[in-house]
Amino acid sequence: MGLLDVVAEVGAVVAGLHVLAAVLVVGPDRLRAAPRRVRANLSAVAPALAVLGIVLALNRVVRDAGVELSWIIGLNITGWIHAVEGEFIAVLQSVSLPALTAYFGFIYVFGYVFLLTFPLLAYLLHDEPRPLRVLLVTYVLNYALGLVCYVTFVAYGPRNFMPELVGSLLFTHWPQSQLLTAQVNVNTNVFPSLHASLSTTVALLAHRFRHVYPRWRPVAAVLAASIALSTMYLGIHWLTDVLAGVVLAAATVAAATRVAADGNRGGRGGTDSGTERLSRNTGRWR
Amino acid sequence: MAESSRSLAGGRRATLASIAAGAVALGSGCARRLRTVTGWEPSSQVSLRIKAVPADADPYALRAARTVAGWFRAAGIDAGVTPVAREELLRQVLLNAEFDLFVARLPERFRSPDGLYSLLHSRFGEAPGWQNPFGYADLDVDEMLETQRRASDGRRQVVARIQRTVAETQPFTVLAFPDDIRTARTDRYRSWLVADLASPLGYLTVERAGADPSDRRDGSTPEARADEVLRLAVTDRRATENLNPLAAEFRGHGVLTGLLYDPLGYDTGTGTVEPWLAESWAFPEERGETRARVRLREDLVWHDGEPLTASDVAFTHALLADTSLGADRQEGEAGTEAGTEDPVPAPRFQGRNSLVADVRVLDETTVEFRFVECDPGVATRAFTVPVLPEHVWADRTGPASVGGIVVGGATEALVTSNIPPVGSGPLRFVRNTPRESLVLERFDGHFLDDDPSGGLPGRMAGGPAFDRLSVRVVGSDVTAVEMVADGDADVTGTAVGAATVPRIGRADDLDLLVDRSETPYLLGYNARRPPLTNPRFRNTLARLIDGSYLAGTVFEGYAQPAVSPLAGTDWLPSDLRWDGTNPVTPFIGSDGELDVRRARDAFRDAGYQYDEGALVEVN
Repeated sequence: MGLLDVVAEVGAVVAGLHVLAAVLVVGPDRLRAAPRRVRANLSAVAPALAVLGIVLALNRVVRDAGVELSWIIGLNITGWIHAVEGEFIAVLQSVSLPALTAYFGFIYVFGYVFLLTFPLLAYLLHDEPRPLRVLLVTYVLNYALGLVCYVTFVAYGPRNFMPELVGSLLFTHWPQSQLLTAQVNVNTNVFPSLHASLSTTVALLAHRFRHVYPRWRPVAAVLAASIALSTMYLGIHWLTDVLAGVVLAAATVAAATRVAADGNRGGRGGTDSGTERLSRNTGRWR
Repeated sequence: MAESSRSLAGGRRATLASIAAGAVALGSGCARRLRTVTGWEPSSQVSLRIKAVPADADPYALRAARTVAGWFRAAGIDAGVTPVAREELLRQVLLNAEFDLFVARLPERFRSPDGLYSLLHSRFGEAPGWQNPFGYADLDVDEMLETQRRASDGRRQVVARIQRTVAETQPFTVLAFPDDIRTARTDRYRSWLVADLASPLGYLTVERAGADPSDRRDGSTPEARADEVLRLAVTDRRATENLNPLAAEFRGHGVLTGLLYDPLGYDTGTGTVEPWLAESWAFPEERGETRARVRLREDLVWHDGEPLTASDVAFTHALLADTSLGADRQEGEAGTEAGTEDPVPAPRFQGRNSLVADVRVLDETTVEFRFVECDPGVATRAFTVPVLPEHVWADRTGPASVGGIVVGGATEALVTSNIPPVGSGPLRFVRNTPRESLVLERFDGHFLDDDPSGGLPGRMAGGPAFDRLSVRVVGSDVTAVEMVADGDADVTGTAVGAATVPRIGRADDLDLLVDRSETPYLLGYNARRPPLTNPRFRNTLARLIDGSYLAGTVFEGYAQPAVSPLAGTDWLPSDLRWDGTNPVTPFIGSDGELDVRRARDAFRDAGYQYDEGALVEVN
């Protein structure tokens, strides 16, 4: 089972979850109106989408150079993190059970991909583009700030720092998944946890836009909490990384709502923001 | 860093205190007393950081480092572990001497006592690379290292004395000789159990499953053989980014570069060197001088088709001694000051190259080596360095630059990634994807193809049993084992941890390969930094380390504790044999449990003090 098999498996499972969630969360009415909404929303968020594309592409390129750079200018904070929180992760892992490992392993890989991609689809089908735009901006900020941290700090996760106490549960349970995670992650980049920050971001936005998809809020909350916990349970992240990730999420959500709001009032055409305000009101009346 | 900031704060506090005290003291007319009191420096806790590669890269190093740090802490030392990536660790330790202690494996097989020469001679204390990275300086050891090179009789006694002194003065502590654990599929290739995969030669002796070794090249068209790939899963990604045989921080055992580059002679693994690129060599009897006449095989070619001649051999030894080839000095002579620039030796092969005084080209295929004063048996070690092509490396003698700006004192030869490499070895470069993969292919112009016997081990004749060698980098040893179990790789190219053994045992079709390795894990001390400058302090630190416990727990029994890096060879004197416990620096305690009271007494005996349970040193 090579990398392609792993990617195919993740793709298939996440696609299935998307279909299920589309029916339950988005609902048939919105799905029926989809073609029209998608076109309108896409053109409304095109700039944000383009920026995200650029940041992701940059992330891919800069990440390799960033690792080299962070060994030159970065600060190795692994020892400090350990000094601050001690063996918390080892204590957390002392309750490990095969069923829990299977659950958190599933959540870490499949749940995470689903949690990040589904709101893109769901908000795309919404009557107004604002939630989608805010979401895209938060993703951009998360990746951009994350990258800055990764260059500034060198930090290894608990599974790499205290292997005698913390097992590398995901990779011993499902070794092939490392073929996939190695494509996305570098093991010196654990501070902060992007898993935690991006999932918290999605959960915070699910709360902020709860009027759009009331059913999405509890799902996102449970998934986000599980993902944050899974990164620690699987020995990949420190508690410190997760807390830093949550702070990063709160900051990006606050910033993105402001940026996206400015975007509505300013630079964009008057008719556009007029329709948006109108549709926002429609949204609220429902 | 933490240490210096603490001592700064301590210094500031002390200064404030002395000013306050000064007011009182001067008032009472006791300026003399003040002067006496401030003469006593404040002391602070001894702080040591151990650098080691993280668990993903090495199954044992970090665990061993953490266990040792635990013993050091029990003895009142502020000890901690810093995980550092593999090439970064070597860069910091070997090139910049930025470390207190480090845990790493010796890079190459270490079966000849002359290997100690470059590892410990003080003349290499400032040299980058695996040349005395400890900054160890002991004049007696220096002299004995030189004597053992010359002595044909009595060498054994000298080597034994060196080992005893080193075990006492502890430039490093040998932690254990680990077993190299690997796994291989048996459905496509065989002879894994007899192949030594820590050596390039091992891959040349692997055979195709179901093929008669005598006709492995016949009976199949090139098209049919095109997919005969030997696939390696490795956890070390360095070879996918850099194939420079001179780059110390990118080389481990040098297996892959050893397949790309040929030496004049190969190490048989039993302490002797046999001809490889050389057809033969002879040491004529001459008084006071050791010379060798080396004849190359006929019609040797580089991978790019250029002929490999005697002048490449002479060039290689000149380059290893000074990668700038004296370019700067010649300019200096033309100008005002002659010889202002020092040579820039290669960070690898210095020990072996230091045997060579000069190499003269006699004709296309013959060179004459003149050696420093040494025994011919020792001198042949110089033949095991890789021969480099002059037409490629002659252009790499200029200073290294980044974007046109000259940085540091290195030459291009030391910093080039050397991709694509032009070698003469049995395999040649095809392509690489940094951090992911490397593909090599069989080189059809190699002498192994034409030379069925020639004194080489039988199975090597005819060249490798595969047409391509593909190396795939994976995140950890468990994933490497799974790749092999799933049929996506044929063998784990790097050794895996003992924890994967049950996994290998459960899988069908897999061979478990366990070889006692010849390269130990060391705890290296930076003898340039106090208090590690003090051999008695290092000796006491060594007594805080329980080698038997490490071998049993960290290595899960797949290791042998040892005192000397020559353990396992017949150079080891019987009084340095591991006898259930360390015969020179016995552990203070038992079963991994440190006897704290006795450990403190040992440090007090060494002249150190304790302050509220903390081992302190005077700043």
